[in-house]
Amino acid sequence: MIDFSMYDVKAPQIDAWKCDSCGTIFYPVPMVCSGCGVRRDPVTNKGWSTFELSGPCTLLTWTRVWNLPEGYNKKFLQFGIVEFENGLRASGRVEVDEPRTGMALTATVEESDERPGDPVNVFVFK
Amino acid sequence: MAARVGIVGIGHTVFGNLSEYDLADIMAYAATDALKDAGFLDRRKEIDQVLVANMASGMLCHQSAVASALVSRMDMEPVPAELVENGPASGASAVKLGYMAVASGLADLTLVVGGEVMRRVTGWNATDIVATMLDTDTEYNMGLTLPGFGGMFTRLYMEKYGMEERDLALLAVKNHDNGFKNTYAHIRAKCTIEAIADGPEAAVVNNYVAEPLRMYSTCPVSDGGAALLLVNMDAPIAKEFPKKPIRIAAVASATDTHCVHNRKDPLELNAVRIAAEKAYKMAGIGPEDIDFAELHDAFSILELAISEEVGFFERGKSYLAARKGETAIDGTLPINTSGGLKSKGHPVGCTGVSQVVELVRQLRGEAEEGRQVKDPKYGMSVNFGGFGNNVASVICAKD
Repeated sequence: MIDFSMYDVKAPQIDAWKCDSCGTIFYPVPMVCSGCGVRRDPVTNKGWSTFELSGPCTLLTWTRVWNLPEGYNKKFLQFGIVEFENGLRASGRVEVDEPRTGMALTATVEESDERPGDPVNVFVFK
Repeated sequence: MAARVGIVGIGHTVFGNLSEYDLADIMAYAATDALKDAGFLDRRKEIDQVLVANMASGMLCHQSAVASALVSRMDMEPVPAELVENGPASGASAVKLGYMAVASGLADLTLVVGGEVMRRVTGWNATDIVATMLDTDTEYNMGLTLPGFGGMFTRLYMEKYGMEERDLALLAVKNHDNGFKNTYAHIRAKCTIEAIADGPEAAVVNNYVAEPLRMYSTCPVSDGGAALLLVNMDAPIAKEFPKKPIRIAAVASATDTHCVHNRKDPLELNAVRIAAEKAYKMAGIGPEDIDFAELHDAFSILELAISEEVGFFERGKSYLAARKGETAIDGTLPINTSGGLKSKGHPVGCTGVSQVVELVRQLRGEAEEGRQVKDPKYGMSVNFGGFGNNVASVICAKD
């Protein structure tokens, strides 16, 4: 595990969002809150707050994909959909040897540079 | 009162690897076929509107504004022409908008043309391009693809309803049987359950694509074109065609969450269910009235799940009906008589138009020997966009 505190870089992170007006949480963030209808200003994001989406989660389903798109020089990758304790769900990669639906996992975030362009943050459920 | 809309001409290229041909040529070939079928090729400039269904020519062929290319290739200027893009449901969406143009009275004749050339890029690249329809940050960037979602959906279904991988192989056998007899199919080859499920080499022949989905449960990457000429059945011009119109009884579509993970029940395809409910209401019929259906089996599991959402079978029971042969060509409700996306092929933006061409062929009684449904009255198509986030359905009727 890299100790990012030693360096002037931030550990990769994926955020979920909360509408401060009604408390509804989202991932990804919408333009209009489905709870109270308030619109988000995409420049200021006033009235909306973010929080890190990570930690314990439950695997809802998974697959092992053998025909990866261009850029992924791997034999296969595993993907899954998880549910967090706060009820939010997310799709991402699964890195356990024998995935099972319903198993407890921990969501981590890593940087991916497989595709062209800027690196992106991806969920890796372990 | 909206005008009644009918189909008086159909055209279809063979599906397969047509990558050496120009996309506009492929679409124009199908479109001229449809006009010849309608006896209207020489009068093509009388058409009021051209709608072109295409998903990704910009990325796949480095070609944009293909509606303009098509009308020019067909010497149809100055007929208005626009592109309809709704992912893999572009085809049925174009049929829907063509219907709306005619039913509204704005156009008496609308030519709907679908076309896609996917095999000019590598399979890796095509998989990536098709995946761009997913949510960018939360799905595409994770490395997910459409087969990935197909695999996850299949696992959920298997675990909930007890379906086995072999049941998907049975669908492949059925659809390849139908596609084998379809002049236009991409893969005109039969397959046996021994070869792809029961035999000692099955795991090699039918390898995993996105577990538990195997190759024979996944559609090929195809090129092709298809076309329909729509007419206002209440206008005088409707009497000028050699073949009796096949009436479009309903067009309907619906949407669902763009991110699959945000669905309350990831096994429910709400957009399919709602589009079908709207279509039945518009047609004034119910699922029990449908005689055959073309369902978007980009992954075989979708043939089953869609057949349940549109009300043909109870949830979790469709694979049992398929085991008994109920959805075979001689069954009580034949599904994917064309061979489906699995055998006929899936040129993404074209598929919805191709499905409706098959409805018309069956309703006219023009399907090839051995795959003609006996005297059907209603046929239904479901064209599935994204992973179920934008779905369009068409019901055609023989009056």
